[in-house]
Parts: sequence; C-alpha cells; structure tokens
Amino acid sequence: MALLFGGAALLPSCLNDKGKSVVKLKHIDLDAGQQALVADVADVIIPKTDTPGSKELGLHLFVLKMVDDCFNKEGQETFVAGMKEFNEAAKKKHGHDFVDCSPQEKLVFVSDIDKRAHDRKPDEEKDDAKLFTFYSMLKGQTVFAYTTSKYFMTKQIVYELVPGRYNAYFPVKEKAAV
Amino acid sequence: MSTNTYDAIVIGSGISGGWAAKELTEKGLKTIMLERGRNIEHIKDYVNATKGPWEFPHRGGRTQKMIEDYPVLKRDYPLNETNLDYWVDEKKSPYTEIKRFDWFRGYHVGGRSLMWGRQSYRWADVDFEANAKDGIGVDWPIRYKDLAPWYSHAEKFAGISGNRDGLAILPDGDFMPPMEMNCVEKDVAARVKEHYKEARNMIIGRTANITVPHNNRTNCQYRNKCWLGCPFGAYFSTQSATLPAAMATGNLTLRPWSIVTRILYDKDTKKAKGVEVLDAETNKTYEFYAKIIFVNASTLNTAWILMNSATDIWPDGLGSSSGELGHNLMDHHLNVGAGGRVEGYLDKYYFGRRANGIYIPRYRNLNGEKRDYIRGFGYQGGASRGGWSRDIAEMSIGGAFKDALSEPGEWSMGMGGFGETLPYHENKVFLDKTKKDAWGLPVLAIDAEVKENERKMRIDMMNDAKEMLEAAGVKDVNTYSMEPVLGRGIHEMGTARMGRDPKTSVLNEWNQVWDAKNVFVTDGAAMASTACQNPSLTYMALTARAADYAVKELKKGNV
Repeated sequence: MALLFGGAALLPSCLNDKGKSVVKLKHIDLDAGQQALVADVADVIIPKTDTPGSKELGLHLFVLKMVDDCFNKEGQETFVAGMKEFNEAAKKKHGHDFVDCSPQEKLVFVSDIDKRAHDRKPDEEKDDAKLFTFYSMLKGQTVFAYTTSKYFMTKQIVYELVPGRYNAYFPVKEKAAV
Repeated sequence: MSTNTYDAIVIGSGISGGWAAKELTEKGLKTIMLERGRNIEHIKDYVNATKGPWEFPHRGGRTQKMIEDYPVLKRDYPLNETNLDYWVDEKKSPYTEIKRFDWFRGYHVGGRSLMWGRQSYRWADVDFEANAKDGIGVDWPIRYKDLAPWYSHAEKFAGISGNRDGLAILPDGDFMPPMEMNCVEKDVAARVKEHYKEARNMIIGRTANITVPHNNRTNCQYRNKCWLGCPFGAYFSTQSATLPAAMATGNLTLRPWSIVTRILYDKDTKKAKGVEVLDAETNKTYEFYAKIIFVNASTLNTAWILMNSATDIWPDGLGSSSGELGHNLMDHHLNVGAGGRVEGYLDKYYFGRRANGIYIPRYRNLNGEKRDYIRGFGYQGGASRGGWSRDIAEMSIGGAFKDALSEPGEWSMGMGGFGETLPYHENKVFLDKTKKDAWGLPVLAIDAEVKENERKMRIDMMNDAKEMLEAAGVKDVNTYSMEPVLGRGIHEMGTARMGRDPKTSVLNEWNQVWDAKNVFVTDGAAMASTACQNPSLTYMALTARAADYAVKELKKGNV
C-alpha cells in the first residue's frame, strides 16, 4: 500500500479495462499509459532511495492535479503534445514506449533529456521545443510536489507550524529550516 | 428613542472604521458599525490559519477557475487559494476602469485589516509641509505636531514593533521591541550606512505585529501566515484589537451585510441625520439615525457614498461644493527595484518565519538636494536563503538531487520601492450609472494614472536600489521596473481631501465635511498627499484625533 500525502490523495481514481489505475481529470484527457508515463518520469526525478520516492509519495497525482486545474489551455495542450513527442523520442532510442523501458533505459533517457534541457537556451525555438517544455513542466511540478509535501516538510526539513521565535543566526548544520 | 437611533454611526469596519468604533464607544457614545459584507469572527472564522502548506489542494496556487472568477485580483499576488474568502466577489461588485486601476478589496468585517501588510510608519514634518512648499494640491491643514500625540495613542494600542532609529525623516514612535535582522541584512545595513555616511539607512521594518503580549493578545509566533487571520491575535486587525475593545464598552452594535447607500442630509440643519442602508442579504432598505457619522468605507467606497448623498442639494454629492470630491486619487507607485546574490554566510540561516523585512526610509530631495522630480520614495526588502538551486547538470535528477533539495540554497537580497504619487485633479473617480452591481447600485468608474514626476522618480528607484546593493557587496544585481499601475500599492488615497479652504477641499482640519459638520471622513480618502510611507498608521491617528474632537464638539453642542 503506497503512502499518499496531501491533497493529491483525494483525487478520484478508477480501474480501466487493462487494470491500470486512472485518475479522473476534468480538463485534460490522459489515458492510463500517459498517466503511467508521468508517474514513471517523476519517479526517475525523485526516486526511492533510503527515503521515499515519487510513486510512494504520490507526487505524480499532485502533478496531474496541477496540470488539470492550474495550467491554462495552451499549457495543457503543450503538456500533452510534448508528452507524445517525449514518448516518440524514447521509442526511437530504445525501440518501445517509455513506460515499457527498463529502469536503466528510463534513467539514461531522462538523464539525457534533463541534460539537454539544461543546456538549451531559454528561448530556443526548435521542432522539439514542446518535448522540452513538457519535461520542464513535469520536473518543475514534481519538485514542487516533493518540496511542499507533508513528508518533505515534516521529515526532511524542520517545518514548525508555530515556530514561536525568530533566530536570526541559526546555524545550518542542525538542519535546514524554512 | 427609535431602535434605529444611535449617538454615532461608523460606516465600514476596516482599520479606520474599527478605530472610530473603539474611540467613540470608549467615550461613551452608543455606536453602530455598519459593514457591507459578512461577519468574520476572530479566530473561529480563520479557517485556513492552522493548516500546513501541504493541506491546500494546490499548495496555495491559483486554479484556472480562480483566474476566471477574479479578473482583477489575478493581476497580482493576492489571488491565491489560502485566503480567497477574504477578497471581494468581483462578479457581484464590478467597477469601471477608464484607465487600468487594480482595486483589491475586502468586503467583510475587518476589511483589509485582516490582509494588510502591517508596515507602520509615522510621517514627518517634511511630508505635511510638502504640498505648501511645492505649490502642489492643497496645503495639509495639520502638521506633525498635531498628529504626534495621536500617533503615540495609536501605536500604544495597536502594538507596533520597531527600533528607535533616531531618524528625522521617520520619527520614532512608542514601539515594542523590534524584530531582528538576519545576518546578511545586518551586514548590508552596516555597509550602506558606511558607504553613504549615514545619509541612507536600512532599518528593521516597523510592523503592527506585537513582540510582547499585549491586551490579551499573544506576541508574534513567527508563522508568517498573517493574511490568513492570526489565531494568536498577534497582528493588529479590527478583530484582534479595536473590535473587542469597542465591544467591551457595551456601547457597540455591529451590523454586517449593511450596504450604506447614502448619507441622509437635512438641509434645514445643514447636517446629516443618518444613513440609508440596503441589507445585502434581504435587499430591504433601512434607515439609521445618529448625531455624528464617521465614514470609513475605504477610500473609494467612501467617495462613492458621498457622491450618492445629498444629490438634491449638490448634484455631485455631499462634499462636492469644492469640485474636488472624487478627485486627486492617489496610490503609491511600486513594482520597481533590484535584487541579487549574496556570497558566503553559508553556515548561517534563520529559524522562524519573520513576517517583516527591512526598510530604507526616504533620502531623496532632502537637505537641499534637488532631483529632476519632487518628493521621494522608500524601500522594503529583505535577505533570505532559497531552496536548493545550485546549477549543476549532473545532479539535477535522482537520489542525490532529491537529498540536495532539503539543503538551503544561496542567500539573496532584494528591495522594492514605494514612491510618492502627487495629487492630480484629473485623477478621479465618478459614478458609472450605466453599470450596476448585484444590488442594482451604480458602480464606480476610475480614471487615474501616474505622470511625469512619478516616472522620473522611478529611474532613481531602480538605479539607487542597484547602487546600494552593489555598494553592500551584493553580486549579480538585477533591476526591474514594471509599467506603473495605480491601485497595486493597495494604498488608495485622496478623493475627499483635507484642506484649509472649503473652496478647494472636502474636509477641514478635523476631518469634518465642510458641507456637513457632523460627518467625518478619516480613511484614506482624507489624504491631501501620500508621502511614501505606508499610510495605515496615519489613518489610525487621524481617526482617533477626529473622534476625540467629534465627541468634544458633540458635548459642546456644536455638531
């Protein structure tokens, strides 16, 4: 049983005919395969180590909710179109859909995209622009989902709802604060 | 005595309305405070105040639905899901923008005292004298010495934390202990002071967050969630401070859902006899009567009420005999400044979320300096450490990246200017009778813009910020200067200015409407200029002073 944190856990979901869990979205239409791709990429960005990763924390559910509720129509279209390009590029490189790649292939592929995204000029206009826009949207939302999750804020950093004091010279060795 | 008759009526329950209610009731007047919106009860109704950031469905962000529903609020930071309930329903209460004007409103008990920025500064003599010296607008009918005791009165009750910095441009007040600067801010402040030989100063912000327990309120807990409402009552709001004080007298009646449609003017006595109220829930109309009326509906709605009143005598409304009612609308102009990276201090952080920053008081056009514009500006800002943001491609996904996200990033320091806007007669509001709100009432049309003096000032506001940060050793300083839009400062001022002459002003030196001496206007509408300091503390002081005068005059039988 996966641990789910935060509002994303409240999303309704159901099983489709292939037995895969599908989150019901209101404004965009993503099939089980596409949702699995989002979950898999997010899990490469924030993987399980000795601490929980994206799937265990349900980060992809929050990402989907944000895309569904907060992105404008143009952003949603770019997200979906870029995802298709992302999958096509994976197919070209590894011979099958991204979600069917081995964990090693996924890591290699996402690492390559991440590095190329990093090296691109912000306003670079190329045929694969949507692929990289999709990737940076997904990465940005995944990191946001992680760093605002209850797990992260209560277990990884010292977040107190009521700090009660202000220490202007807090040494960082004791762990980060927000 | 009719049940609708009181000694005093206060229209509006925000910062200045709450103060009027407190002062009048404490002086023994049976008072009714009319609020157009719903009630928000202290603590009980702060429904999001104790939630963790992860408990909000979009972690505080804005959905497309919200953007659609709030076409004005979306223009700046206030639109967010954590305190959406505190902002006006724009579909029910539209307004007309002849020129773009970002009007951010709170229609509920407490008004914007629940969401305000809490920065609290006195004005200095130079501010009250400026109009007369420059021949701009009208001379303020008061000087610093007239308001100084009332600033003290307001500070002692509201609870303002601040340092006594001894600066002539920003008089010290009756402060609670100041909040502390963090290590970077302290060093930057020291370097600025040295570089400019004390001609420019960076001080800790003076804020209406109490730092010691006060009047059954708990001192600030450093949550930085003020605008959700504070369960500790640690910042000044109507709910935390003035309303309980007024209630404790037994003299206050609070009536939410009460839209004041007009002040009832009696042409025989040349005074107001009461107000007409439209119940926002039932659409029924009521009249309330009183000897004195305080109009504290927030600047633009105060103008709206006056313009709707006594139109049988003055077609443009009560207080319009000077031709200045609705004119001289002002705000602070902002969205200009600079920020950069601070090297080092990596073994230092801060703990607690301080709802306050640093302040740089005005230094331009003082002591004989003459720029190519008049007046000046101040800055608010601060230093902080970001989240992990080191730009290393090799570590931007995976386990090491995940771990690094919990480490603090680099320090950065930024500051944004708040500039004085001059009073221009042509910057105005008027009734747009072609458009109606949800209650069938005409809406306000706003026609205002910044002009050459403000635009010239903004060049200094941007460049000085960069210069000061660089002088203090801040690296990679970036500047910004957005197209200035009035309203964004959320410091609407003017439209019913104080003055010395009924021919050129709406109010006299005691905030009395020249044309109806028992009507007092003590919110931002009364301002004859804006200075560059955040204005709310001045509204508090003006209100307390006017209430004191009103009660004395009432006892003498003069109003």
